[in-house]
Amino acid sequence: MSLPAVRLKPLTWHPHIAPVELDDATPEQLEAMKVTPSAKKVSEYVRTLAHDPESYVARTVLFNAIMYVEGGLPRADRELGALGASVVNGCRYCAVVHARQHARITGSDDTVSAAFYNRAEDMSPRDAAIYTFARRLSVTPSQATPEDVAALRDAGLDDGEIIDLIHAIAIFGWANRLMHVLGHSKPAE
Amino acid sequence: MTERDVIDSAAGLSSADPRFIARRLRPEFVEGAEICRTSVLAPKDDLGLSRALRAALARRMAALNDDAPLTAYYDAELTMSLPTEEELRLSRGETGLAEPLAAMAGHADLITSDPSRASAEDIRRLERAGLTNPQIVALSELIAFVNFQTRVVAGLRLMGAS
Repeated sequence: MSLPAVRLKPLTWHPHIAPVELDDATPEQLEAMKVTPSAKKVSEYVRTLAHDPESYVARTVLFNAIMYVEGGLPRADRELGALGASVVNGCRYCAVVHARQHARITGSDDTVSAAFYNRAEDMSPRDAAIYTFARRLSVTPSQATPEDVAALRDAGLDDGEIIDLIHAIAIFGWANRLMHVLGHSKPAE
Repeated sequence: MTERDVIDSAAGLSSADPRFIARRLRPEFVEGAEICRTSVLAPKDDLGLSRALRAALARRMAALNDDAPLTAYYDAELTMSLPTEEELRLSRGETGLAEPLAAMAGHADLITSDPSRASAEDIRRLERAGLTNPQIVALSELIAFVNFQTRVVAGLRLMGAS
């Protein structure tokens, strides 16, 4: 069966609570947001999470390490893990952002279209193994099985790459629970 | 870095386990998870959400994730934080709590079990229970962290079983 490609238009995000206003921010919040005299534009997302600057800084450092560290699992595979988590967790904003990243890196939207239709059978065996594991690990409690990990190994992932993938999925178990819970998304103007 | 952390212990990794060694190839993940754990469970500024309350919520969410070792870990953390009777009841997954614990517990249950069902009304409920914006964000980060941690642990366990 041939399914129409999913159109991935960018979304914008708006918080359900009032974000920190720069004029009212504490020194710790300003430092967390990296506000400097020459960089005064800060997104609503960052200003919302800056209400708790300690966790904001800690999570941002970990998030960037997990998604952008050199070597190991290819970036496209991390994006596919992030997409699987975001679909299960219902975070439309994250799902669209990371589907677009995957399509940009791979030069094709075939895999992410199959992901939105939940048709792992239409993906390559490697993508299917990654996407299926991401979805099952994201359910509460986890539904992932030893067979799912064996499928990753059969697809050629070594232990270091599987650990990278677990972290990419898990950090979206975190990020989705911020973006989808603290705000809502709508199509960009 | 050569000592076992909470994630190793919960996943059952000895320091000789190949998964323990493979984790150390990503020191920024190992250190980052520890710094994050402190930032949500024992932050420098608790923003009015006590360490005992945070441990109680974490214990409740670890149980929802069916993670017995992490549940036992948070039970021990809770005991050390000298919880109130009401916080102990929250930690055990009980309902019928007094506010604002009832609102926080209900929110933790929903966002742990099925975050796709979250809506603006859930945030309004926290506000009606008296939570400030910093407390709403701190609670959200705690909920999200425990759901990160349980997935890292679950994944590492599965690696040893396949």
